[in-house]
Amino acid sequence: MTDTITPVNAEVHDEKLAEASPTRSSFLSYFGTKLGGALISLVMVVLLGFFAFRVLPGDPVRRIAQERPMSPEQIAELRRQYGLDKPVTQQFLDYLVNIFSGNLGESYVYRTPVSELIGQYLGPTLLLTGTSAIIAIALGLWLGQRAAWRSGSLFDKIATGTSLTLWSVPTFWLALILLMIFGGTLRWFPTGGMVSPGVEPGTFDYVVDVARHMVLPVVTMVAVVFAQYLMVMRASLLEEKSSDYLTTARAKGLRDDLVRRRHAVPNALLPTVTLVFMHIGGLVAGAVTVETVFSWPGLGKLTYEAISGPDMPLLQGTFVVFSTIIIVMNLIADLIYRQLDPRVRRA
Amino acid sequence: MSTVAAVSLAACLAIGPAATAFAAPVVAEASPSASESADAKTLRIATAGFVDTFNPFISIYLTPTNIIRYVYESLVQNDAEDGSPTEGLAEKWEASPDGMTWTFTLHEGMKWSDDEPITSADVKYTYESMMNDPMLGTANGNLVANFESVETPDDLTVVINLKTPQAPNPGTEIPVLPEHIWSEVDDPTTFTNDADVVGSGPYTLESYSANQSITLKANPNFWRGAPKIDGIQYIYYTNSDAQIQALRAGEVDLVTGLTDTQMTALEGEEGITTHAGTGRRFTSLSVNAGAETPEGVAYGTGSPALKEPAVREAIRLGIDQESLLKNVLGGYGAPATSFIPIAFEKWHLPDDDEAIVSFDPDAAMAKLDDAGWVAGADGIREKDGNRLSIRLLADAEDIVEMSASEYLVPWMADIGVELKLETTDSDTISDRTAVSDYDMYFSGWSVNPDPDYQLGINLCSSRPDAEGNGATSQDGYCNPEFDALYAEQHSELDEAKRAEIVHDMLRMHYEDVAQITLWYGQSLEAYRSDRFTGFTTQPADNGIIANQAGYWGYYTVEPVVDEASSAAEQSGPGAALWIGLGVLVVAAGVVAIVIVRRRKTAGDRE
Repeated sequence: MTDTITPVNAEVHDEKLAEASPTRSSFLSYFGTKLGGALISLVMVVLLGFFAFRVLPGDPVRRIAQERPMSPEQIAELRRQYGLDKPVTQQFLDYLVNIFSGNLGESYVYRTPVSELIGQYLGPTLLLTGTSAIIAIALGLWLGQRAAWRSGSLFDKIATGTSLTLWSVPTFWLALILLMIFGGTLRWFPTGGMVSPGVEPGTFDYVVDVARHMVLPVVTMVAVVFAQYLMVMRASLLEEKSSDYLTTARAKGLRDDLVRRRHAVPNALLPTVTLVFMHIGGLVAGAVTVETVFSWPGLGKLTYEAISGPDMPLLQGTFVVFSTIIIVMNLIADLIYRQLDPRVRRA
Repeated sequence: MSTVAAVSLAACLAIGPAATAFAAPVVAEASPSASESADAKTLRIATAGFVDTFNPFISIYLTPTNIIRYVYESLVQNDAEDGSPTEGLAEKWEASPDGMTWTFTLHEGMKWSDDEPITSADVKYTYESMMNDPMLGTANGNLVANFESVETPDDLTVVINLKTPQAPNPGTEIPVLPEHIWSEVDDPTTFTNDADVVGSGPYTLESYSANQSITLKANPNFWRGAPKIDGIQYIYYTNSDAQIQALRAGEVDLVTGLTDTQMTALEGEEGITTHAGTGRRFTSLSVNAGAETPEGVAYGTGSPALKEPAVREAIRLGIDQESLLKNVLGGYGAPATSFIPIAFEKWHLPDDDEAIVSFDPDAAMAKLDDAGWVAGADGIREKDGNRLSIRLLADAEDIVEMSASEYLVPWMADIGVELKLETTDSDTISDRTAVSDYDMYFSGWSVNPDPDYQLGINLCSSRPDAEGNGATSQDGYCNPEFDALYAEQHSELDEAKRAEIVHDMLRMHYEDVAQITLWYGQSLEAYRSDRFTGFTTQPADNGIIANQAGYWGYYTVEPVVDEASSAAEQSGPGAALWIGLGVLVVAAGVVAIVIVRRRKTAGDRE
């Protein structure tokens, strides 16, 4: 398992299977439970976001003063600017008041509001992870169903083996190897960044330039994560393969290919939809490694820099945002799963 | 399944998209892409540095402050030769005999990059802003702390009246800002100053795109004459290995801060020159000889044994600095004496000073014997029932510290000192050393051309309180004699005499062993010598290009104009790449659409 993937919570599935009633009231209570759980998680995240980063060692002002000629007056002034001269309880109250008004504080390093920074860096991350997710899902599902339909065949063995091999490769290592070969040595693709300096936004050149910069990071992310879609699709289709309705379909005289495409695959797709949502949150968080290696100006890189800073308000901010994305995606996955699969609802 | 098959398919999948892009025979050297067709007169520098702001009043991080050096001239500049004060905005200056009043005369006819004249009023505006508003003193407040008042008798004259006599030139290191721009700004404390900046240095800041690039363009009005290149582009690479690859690929022209391994890897690459420059940094082992507050109250957990001068001297004698230099730094450095690096030869304590000792384990053991430390059963010395055991804090992520520790531990064991290595992260080290919870740790500073500040943070009054708040101290050192000499050098206007006092101070500090200075590391840099030449280093004799205390590094650089300069460009991918990429994107799109459509129509299919 690599760092770009969040583990699937097995309990969630069990829980969902246990819930079962088609009535409207039970749906509401199901919805209420899930929503309540998500809200509690969010509150925990907000609290953790403050306290976890307070117990971490490292005083930003001292760190700056260590490497610079500074007088005690200057250091005191910096503490005042950072709000570190206030008692912790006051800092916590400020943090709570701010966070509920959508203000995530001001970054120590960038001297700009954290929410503004996150807004700026969210776009590139969504572009990168979105593209990677679409390709990984398409590739994984397609290979998965082919592999399952002919399970045990050479195709199955190669596809499964490859995806699992890539899955176990450390993302950082794979990214660096690709960077060295296709960036440094062959010079086919840029070695970092999202766009070359001086390229005007909005032009055709800009689009092409961004596409070129995307190739290596996208290949890295896809290579590492497509295995999970392949495996779920494969398992899901294998389960369908023995179903009676397929025998019926075959008995009608349908070609094997059509049986697969029209009957088996659509049904096998259902469980993967949940998985997709659960993994999107993880994928966004997993961008830290890929963005850092390829200097992609996204949230992952921002987080990395916040850690190196250390930039507490920014760390808090990215932590809260990442956690929120994961919680919301999991909630959507829970709700969709129940709506999509009638068998779960009626079981 | 067979491993071979798995691995080969893995390889195919990994490079699949790239392979697709190149399936068509590459239409050789078609139009190079935007990044490859680098402007022959724009120097591209890889950076990973933080930028807080380009506001010179506030900016404290290394990258922006380095860039600000190129954008705003000071009254007095640090020269390339050895960092001594040289002409900046001022062509000459004079200190009153008592050192209380400094008078500067500006060059005639200087202009800001927007063609407005540069006058003494700009200097007065800048200095007074910092003196009057603590917020505007965030970055350089310490430099004007001794200023009583600033007068401008005429457009070309600046008079600085000081509170106490001062030998270090008060006109250095403060970027002078254009009053006609800054006085129009509503709130100078929040002004970001990151686009179309009006400056007086060799370059001005044109634009800044956070975490992507910083663009500087040449200033035709620079009083020394415009640079020979059009501009500089800083391009962001978070990962230092990616920076090396970018240099190899010709995407950037200069990379700094290399490790010795990266340096070796780049040696012999065509079109690239590696450069090991004498830097302005020292690396040391800080020794806790007993921390005290300025009021003399002891605190912290320092080993009592280290309060004995003999023990500290023995530890120094037991360390083979030459061997550390060779084995840990790959030879990229110079042996150290005290905390003023060899780059500042005038102030540096010479290697042949009588106080300097070299590696001598026998002498170390003799010192410990004389002090009554007797070897115990396991070879570790004891006195009055106490083991001679010393803790060494090291940053687990710092390769240099980790590898130096591997040598230090056995060397100490050889002389009967147990060295307990405690590895942790840099933040924890910073927190623990602030409250004196250590015996020894790896430390180091980048030193400015004038030694005054570095000497000043070794005074008794520079020690912080027991919580680590207040003043900054280099190693918690305190010696009243040293303090007296500091006051003397601080107002000694005769430079030769001042240098002598500084040497006396460094010798005293060396003999007191508040730190064991390990080496002066070289700064490792590499550049595309097939594109640029003529970098001026500081010091001029094999100094550094980047991170200077001046603007010489990129001021004299010029493009190499011959066929070699196209070497970096010709390998740019051609039209086939775009076609291939297009195919890839379309293919991915088609797959996605097909899957979506199948799902949508699944219900209709029977």
